[in-house]
Amino acid sequence: MDRNMFTGGLPGTISRRGFLRACAIATAAMGLPMEMVTKVAEAAESPERPRVIWLHFQECTGCSESMLRASHPDLATLILDLIDLQYHETLMVGAGHQAEAAFEKAIEEPGYVLVVEGSIPTGEYEDFCMIGGHSAEHNLKKAAKNAAAIINIGTCSAWGGIPVARPNPTKAVATGDIIKDKPIINIGGCPPNPHNFLSAVLYYLTFKKLPPTDIYGRPLFAYGRRIHDHCERRPHFDEGRYAEQFGDVGHRLGYCLYKVGCKAPETFGNCSIIRFNDVEVWPVSVGNGCYGCTEPNFWDTMSPFHERLPGVPLPVNGGTIANATDIGKKALGITAAALAIHAGIGVAKSFAKGKKKEEE
Amino acid sequence: MAGHGKDYEKVYVWSVLLRVYHWVFALSIFILIATGLYINWPWTNTWMEGSHQWTMAIMRYIHYVAGMLFTMATIARIYLWFFGNKNEKVWDFAPITPRNIKNMITTSFYYAYLTDNHEHRTGHNAMAGMSYVMTILLAVIQFITGFYLLYPESSFFVGLGSVFGTQQTARFIHHILNWYFAIFAAVHIYIASWNDIRSPEGLISSIFSGYKFFPKGHH
Ligand code: HEM
Ligand code: HEM
Ligand code: SF4
Ligand code: SF4
Repeated sequence: MDRNMFTGGLPGTISRRGFLRACAIATAAMGLPMEMVTKVAEAAESPERPRVIWLHFQECTGCSESMLRASHPDLATLILDLIDLQYHETLMVGAGHQAEAAFEKAIEEPGYVLVVEGSIPTGEYEDFCMIGGHSAEHNLKKAAKNAAAIINIGTCSAWGGIPVARPNPTKAVATGDIIKDKPIINIGGCPPNPHNFLSAVLYYLTFKKLPPTDIYGRPLFAYGRRIHDHCERRPHFDEGRYAEQFGDVGHRLGYCLYKVGCKAPETFGNCSIIRFNDVEVWPVSVGNGCYGCTEPNFWDTMSPFHERLPGVPLPVNGGTIANATDIGKKALGITAAALAIHAGIGVAKSFAKGKKKEEE
Repeated sequence: MAGHGKDYEKVYVWSVLLRVYHWVFALSIFILIATGLYINWPWTNTWMEGSHQWTMAIMRYIHYVAGMLFTMATIARIYLWFFGNKNEKVWDFAPITPRNIKNMITTSFYYAYLTDNHEHRTGHNAMAGMSYVMTILLAVIQFITGFYLLYPESSFFVGLGSVFGTQQTARFIHHILNWYFAIFAAVHIYIASWNDIRSPEGLISSIFSGYKFFPKGHH
C-alpha cells in the first residue's frame, strides 16, 4: 500500500476515494461491519471535528514520530480533516509564550479529547519534567479538568513505560494513577501502531464514546487477542522448529523465534495482523522476537528480551539476577543432595545401633 | 510396645476418593512437569519440514489434558478437607490446633534423628499436613495461572488469573511453582519411603489400600 492510494496521486491532497478508503481501513481495524463505513465517513466528515489537545511528558516522542509516518489516513488528513488538533508541542509552530497562550486558550472550552504521551514524575521528583514552568502533574490535572475523554498514546502514559522501569528513578506514574474521574483508553505499544490510535479516534467520532476495552483499558478491537495466535511463524512453533540463536540455520530458514525470547505468546495486540510502516513488516517478520511492548510494565517483566522469562533477583552479591530455570534446577539439586545426606545419616545410625528401635 | 504381628490392628484410614485423588494428582504432576519444562524449552528441535511431528503442539495438548486432571484432583481434595473422613479433614493435620503444633515439634525431632519416639496418628502428622495444605493451595494458584494462560480470551479466567498480573507474570509464577512441585515430589517420596522403613505402619501401602497398621490400643 502506498501513500497515493489515499492522496489520489497528487502529493498533499486527499481524494474522495482515498478518504473513503481510509475510513474503510479504520472500520475494519475496529472490527466493525463494512456497512459502518458510511457512518464512519459521515462522522469523520462532519464539520464538528473533535478538538484534540496533545500533551508530552516523560517520553521519547516515538509515539508522535510513528504517528507522523501513518498513511491511512496520513497525518495531514488526520489533523486537517478528522480532528482539530489544537495543541501539540512538537508539531505546532508556536513556541514560548505563544505556545503557553495557545494551551490556556485550548483548555478553556470543555469537551475536547486529551491525548497524553509520556509518564508523569511525582512527589519530590515532579520537577524532572517541567513545561512552561509547571510540573507535568500540574499540567495534566489542568488539561484533564475540561476533557471529555483521555487517550493515552503509548505504554508510558498508559502504565508508565520506560520511566517506571525498576528502579523508577523519577517516581513516575501513569495518567490513570492521577486522573480518576475521566474515561481513559490505553493505546499500548512502544510505540503503538498509529492505526490503533486513529481507529480509536474514529470510533470516538462515530459513536461519541470510547470503544470497549480489556482489563488494562486497551481497545478490544486492537488488543483483544494474542499476537502469537496470528503469527505467520506459528506452524513452525507447533511443529517444534526453532531458531536456536540469531543467525543460525533455523533463523535463516525463518523458524519460530520462541527460543530467542519472542514474547508474543503472552502479549496482546494486532501487530501480526495489521503490521507497520506500509511495508507489511513487524518484528517477527524481519527476524526478531516480539518484546511485549503493549503489555503493562514490559520493561521489567519481558526483559531479558532475548530470554523466555524474566530473571529472579537473588539476595546475593547485591541482587544478582539469575535465570528462573537455572535456579529451579539448582534448588532441585540441592534438595536431592540434602535428602541423600539425611538418608546417609539414617543408614549410619542404624548400623551403629544394630537394629531398629520400633521393632523392639 | 509389642512388636508381634498379631498385636497390630488394621485401621481403615483413606477413603477411595482420597486414594484416587492422590494418584491422579501424583501422575498428572509428573506429566505436567515433563511437558511444562518442554514447553519452556522445546529441546527437540525438529529440522524436518513437511513432517508430521507436531512436537510442541502435542506436548501442549498433553499438558492441558493433564492440567484438567490435576485441577479435578485438587478440587476433590479441597472437598475432602471439609467433607472427608476424620483423617482427611483439614483440621486433623493443619498446624492450627495445639495438638498439631505440638506434633509438629515432635515430628521435626523425629525427622532430625533426635528421637525415635513419635505420636502414632492414623492420619497425617502435622509436619506432613502442613506441606500438603501448602501444596493444595499452590495447586490452586497453578491451575488458575494455567487456565489464564490457556484461555486468554475468556473473561472468567482472565478475571481470575489477572490477580497475578499480566500473562507474563502469571507465566513466571506458573514456572516458579513448577519447581516447587518438582521439589515437593522428591522430598515427599523420600519421606514416605523413610517413614515406611522406620515404622511398621505400612504407610506406602496405605495410599493404595486405604489401611494402616497400628500397635493395638495406640491410636
Ligand atoms: C503442577 C502442575 C503444573 C506444572 C508443574 C506446570 C508446568 C508448566 C511449565 C513449566 C510451563 C512452561 C512455562 C514457561 O516456562 O514458559 C507451563 C506452561 C503452561 N501451562 Fe502448566 N503446569 C501445571 C499445571 C497446569 C494447569 C493445571 C494448566 C491448565 C490447564 C496449565 C496450563 C499451562 C499453559 C496454558 C501453559 C502455557 C503454554 C503455552 O502457551 O505455550 N498448567 N506449565
Ligand atoms: C510415586 C510415589 C509416591 C508415593 C509412594 C506416595 C505416597 C504417599 C503416601 C504414603 C501418602 C500418605 C502419607 C501420610 O499418611 O501422611 C501420600 C500423601 C500425599 N501425596 Fe504422595 N506419594 C507419591 C507421589 C506423590 C506425588 C508425585 C505427589 C505430588 C507432587 C504426591 C502428593 C501427595 C499429597 C498432596 C499427599 C497428601 C494427601 C492428602 O492430601 O491428604 N504424592 N503419598
Ligand atoms: S515467532 Fe513468536 S509469535 Fe511467532 S510463533 Fe514463534 S513464538 Fe509465536
Ligand atoms: S511486536 Fe511486540 S514489541 Fe513489537 S510493537 Fe508489537 S507488541 Fe511491541
